[in-house]
Parts: sequence; C-alpha cells; structure tokens
Amino acid sequence: MEIHLIDYQSTSAAGRNFAELQQSIDTHQSGLRKNDFPDIDIDTWIGRVDGLEDVELGEWQSRNNALAWMGLQQGSILSNLERLKHQYSAARIGVVMGSSTSSIDRTETAYTDLDDDGNLRVEFIQAKVHNPGAPSLFVAQHTGVTGPSLTINTACSSSAKVFATGARWLQAGIVDAVLVGGVDTLCGSVLYGFHSLQLVSTEQCAPFDQARDGINLGEAAGYAILVRADHDMTALEAPGIALVGYGESSDAHHMSHPHPDGLGARLAMQQAMQMAELEPKQIDYVNLHGTASRANDLIEGKLIESLFPKSTRVSSTKAWMGHTLGAAGITEALLAVDALQRGVIPGSKNLQELDEQLDITIQAENDKRKCHYVLSNSFGFGGNNSCLAFKNIATS
Amino acid sequence: MISTNLNFKVLGVGAWGLSFRNGADLRNVLAGQELEDDGAKGPKPEIIPANERRRAPLSVRLAVESSWQAVQGSGVDVQDLACVFVSGLGDTQLTDYMCTALAKETKALSPTKFHNSVHNAAAGYWTISTGCMQAANSIAAFQESASATLLEAVIQAQADAKPLLLTFYDAPVSTKLRSMLKNEHAFSLSIVIAPCDVQDAGAINVSVERTTADWPALSGTPELQACYANNPAARILALAALTDAPDGTISRLPLSAETALRLQKVS
Repeated sequence: MEIHLIDYQSTSAAGRNFAELQQSIDTHQSGLRKNDFPDIDIDTWIGRVDGLEDVELGEWQSRNNALAWMGLQQGSILSNLERLKHQYSAARIGVVMGSSTSSIDRTETAYTDLDDDGNLRVEFIQAKVHNPGAPSLFVAQHTGVTGPSLTINTACSSSAKVFATGARWLQAGIVDAVLVGGVDTLCGSVLYGFHSLQLVSTEQCAPFDQARDGINLGEAAGYAILVRADHDMTALEAPGIALVGYGESSDAHHMSHPHPDGLGARLAMQQAMQMAELEPKQIDYVNLHGTASRANDLIEGKLIESLFPKSTRVSSTKAWMGHTLGAAGITEALLAVDALQRGVIPGSKNLQELDEQLDITIQAENDKRKCHYVLSNSFGFGGNNSCLAFKNIATS
Repeated sequence: MISTNLNFKVLGVGAWGLSFRNGADLRNVLAGQELEDDGAKGPKPEIIPANERRRAPLSVRLAVESSWQAVQGSGVDVQDLACVFVSGLGDTQLTDYMCTALAKETKALSPTKFHNSVHNAAAGYWTISTGCMQAANSIAAFQESASATLLEAVIQAQADAKPLLLTFYDAPVSTKLRSMLKNEHAFSLSIVIAPCDVQDAGAINVSVERTTADWPALSGTPELQACYANNPAARILALAALTDAPDGTISRLPLSAETALRLQKVS
C-alpha cells in the first residue's frame, strides 16, 4: 500500500500551525500551562489553544467546531482542497474526521444556562452540533467537500484510524482524495472525567519518567490530505511522505485500563509493519502513545523493548501540547511524519530519569538524523489500538 | 458515474427494538405483522458477564445483544470478526448525566459513567465480553450514519477479504435533548457481512453515485415508521427491506451532499 500525503496541518497549544509547532519542537518550548480553564477547579496543567473564544460560528457554534475551523485556516489546506475540487470535483473528495468529545462542550454550556422550565434555550437548539458526528458535518459544510463523510469516535485512537479509513476509501476508488482530520477540545467532561479516574497530574506530564504521575489534557486540530500514489503531483509542492501501513486491534481487556502485556497494542504495531512489509530493525522512530500514566508508559515501553532493536528511537511528544485525545492520533502522526521530512526526531520532553524497568532508546533532547520509516502509536478507551507506518518517498 | 465493484452478502442477522427481539421477528414486522410487545425495557445480553452487565448502559446492551445474535447465526468464529459499530446519537442518557453533574456548583463525575460515555463503549464491551482482539470501529455521521457506515464496513470487509460484524444502534434520547434529537425508540440491528462475487447467492452490490436521494419509504406500523424517521441507526431498515424484495431491486440511500449509496439486490 502507498497513499500519499500532499498537505498537512496542526493546531495545538504548541503552535497555531505546523510551522509554529516545528519551532516549538526545535526550541523545546512547551505549550502547557497551569490550568486556567473557566469553571474547572482542578490542579493540573493543560494544553489550551488561545483565541477559540473569539471564533463566531452562528448555528455551528461550539468550542470544538471553533478549533476545527481555526485548524482549517492554517497553511494551504483550503487552497489545496480548492485545487482538488477543480481537478476531481467536490463529490470525489471524502471527509473522515476523528474526535472523542465532538461538541459536548456546547451541550455542557447549554446545561449551565437552562430556561426557567429546565429546558435548553433556543440558541442551543443545534441538532447538527449536539451529536457525535458533528466534526465531519462541520468540516464538510465549511470546506464545500460533498463526497462521503463520517466521524470516527474511538476515543484516543480516533484520528489515527482516520488514516486507515481514508486509505481504504482511496483504494476502493470511491473517492480521489480524502481530507482526514482530528479535533478535540478541553471541556468539563474530559477534565473531570480523567480526574475521576485519578489519571491527571498536578505537574507538567513527564512521559516514561521514573517519577511520572499522570497525564495533562490538551486540545488540538489536525488535517492531512490523502491521495493515491498515481495522483498527478505536478502542480504541488508535496512533502514526499506516504502512508504505507496501518494496524487496528482491540485489547479485549478493560474499558479504561490497557492490557497488562500490551497484547492489543502489539497486534496493531505488527499489522502496520506487516502491511508496510517492514522489519522492526527498519523503523527509525516510533512516536509513542506515551500518556505519562504509570500503566500506559510501562506497558508500551516493555512492548517497544520486546519488538524493536536499540537502533529504533522512540519518544512521547505529549509534554508539548498535552494529551489531545481524539486529536492525538493525527497530531502525533504528523510529528512522526515531520521526523521523516526534516530529520528531526522530537525528544521525549520532560524526561529526566527513564523508568527503571525500561531499556529503550529514548532521550529528552531532539535527535537530528535521517529517517526512512516511522511509526505512530495511538491507544484509546475500550482497548482500541491503532498504529500507522509512514515512509519518506525519496529516500526509501 | 462513480463506480466501484463492491459486493457483499449477509451471513447472520440480529435485532432488538420496538416489539422485535431477533432477526426473524424484524422480518415479520417489515412484512406487516404486528408483534405483541413483551414490555421489556431493554435486552440483557448473556454474553456480557453479569457484573459488567449491571454497569452496561442500555445503548451498549442493545448493541451487544443484536451483535451476539448475528454472530451466532453467522457460523463465523467471533475471534475472527472485526467489528464496526454505528450510533448516530451516542449515549444521550450519559451526555445528560455528565452535563447535569457539570452544571452543579460542586462538579464530580463517576469514573465508570465517564468511561462508559465514550462513543466506542459498545465496541469496548463487545470485544471485552467476547475476547475478540480484531479491529473495532465506532462511527457517527448524523442522519447519514447508517448509509455512510454501511459503505465504510463493506469497503473494510473487502480490503481485509474476510467477514465483519456491523451493528447499527441508537437508544431513546434523554428528555432535555429531545427538543432537537427526536428519537424515542430503542433500535439495534446487526449483520455479519462477507465480501463476495456478484454472482453469489444473496449478493448485494454497493456503489456510490453522484446524485442526491431521499430516504426510501418504508412500509410498516406507524411506530416502525416513526423509528425509521427519527432513529438514525434504524435507517438501515432500508437495507433490511431489500431482503424480501425481488431480485434486481435497487435502493438509493442519502450519503452526502452530492452522493447517494446505491444498493442492488443482485440475487
């Protein structure tokens, strides 16, 4: 399989667009801040995107849609979509979004402002917003893409799985291009929800560190435009990156605890490499799920130890923008892609002393080296796992 | 205009909703029979271990019950089945619970209700209960949830060249949200599908057409019609209605702003 990425963008606390994110990576500047989210009294750090409160969307109003909209304005995503609509027609382009919260932020707001009879006020009667498919409805509407569209909601693996679905749609020939994306925003449900599971750290998260004590939540939007390898690239400055494999699996273990031996995660990684016809020793870098929870990082680290030689570099980038849940898959896949594209492997920021039970090639500092093949891991509640494999087209 | 060569057949059916309790009941309801309502508020799927079943919300129990029926009837080992779950509305009872709790002065959420609130809770309970480690997906596409997910699942089954479990479910909407999301009915339909050749018995051909379509009319009781109109998952009844239609029958389902999903019962 070879599916080309012709453009991509990312918006998070670590950068409003991909160029800013690259700068944050290069200068090791985290976007995390002490929790200052209105009406949320939890001692933690968050990856909050500035300016979302100022986005006016009328009947589409929600924080999640505001972030989806802000993400679309970055870089050349919209102009490339216009070019593709001209080349193929809008109906031959698909939209596959991933999210875990959709626009529940808006439902939360509606419930704080009920009328005297306890009903939703008229400005909150927004059927297209208060539903789990809202992200793809909104993005299709605001890009003018009219082909098939849907939203994948598999918690924190959502926007990794969008690449698998996008690739299948292209291979089946039902579309000629797919806009895949992920968007999730901070809101009471996720902050109080993860707090109730005692998973939230009072400090900046430190993935894989011996002293790590939990996650930081963040918000992000990310997009990538996918085409088949036979797409005419002449008019484009394509980044030269291809999706070459994906793996999808289930833990079949617990709704919110990972499988103790990482069996589901192992299956997803093995499937991705098998589809890409790659051996573990060929993988230069793995962007880990690495939430900084005690359980995830130990299990994922042990899995890396058992599957890969020490020449494979790994890191978690969650200390830059927090765990962005349904947007984490694409945000981190694009950081893995950036390692291929620029030769900058992002460090595992905030790592001081590696978990003493682990023996893997991980460091806090960035590592400049040419990469040919990379993987990105994303695991979600319900034991839902995904792994993506990308290659540098020119060098591999 | 947009052509693809996607064909599938149905290996097993499960159903729970209104007055039907299995696939055979549903077929009778679609044929115009009125079944006696047994008054059950929701299914109690035996495949979920008892301690987990007590915590499982109605939406999950609906999805798992029909899924288990479909797999048992399919002759396929559950360990080999990837699964795709679709709910257009999500679990609005849990949305209501969380938003009510978060609107209070002192905010606190139940950890179990929080992890049950993810849209892929049904896929999670299903894979945990059956021990299935295959790919699990959970999808929403508002009014086009049923058509978009059917397309996605048929493409996945073809890409993997193996059968797949597909479950469409939506539970009644919580009171406050019913001002915009009308659904009052519990509905779940599961099918185990397999990719096949167009000449195989029972083959249904799927393609994407560049046209717009309205949801096809459905015959049946007023209650069934209301469910079909307001429950996004129940729109898959447009596919179920093809089962007893003459060979060659074509049905077009709305898919997106400029496309429709064309289904043809080949034989």
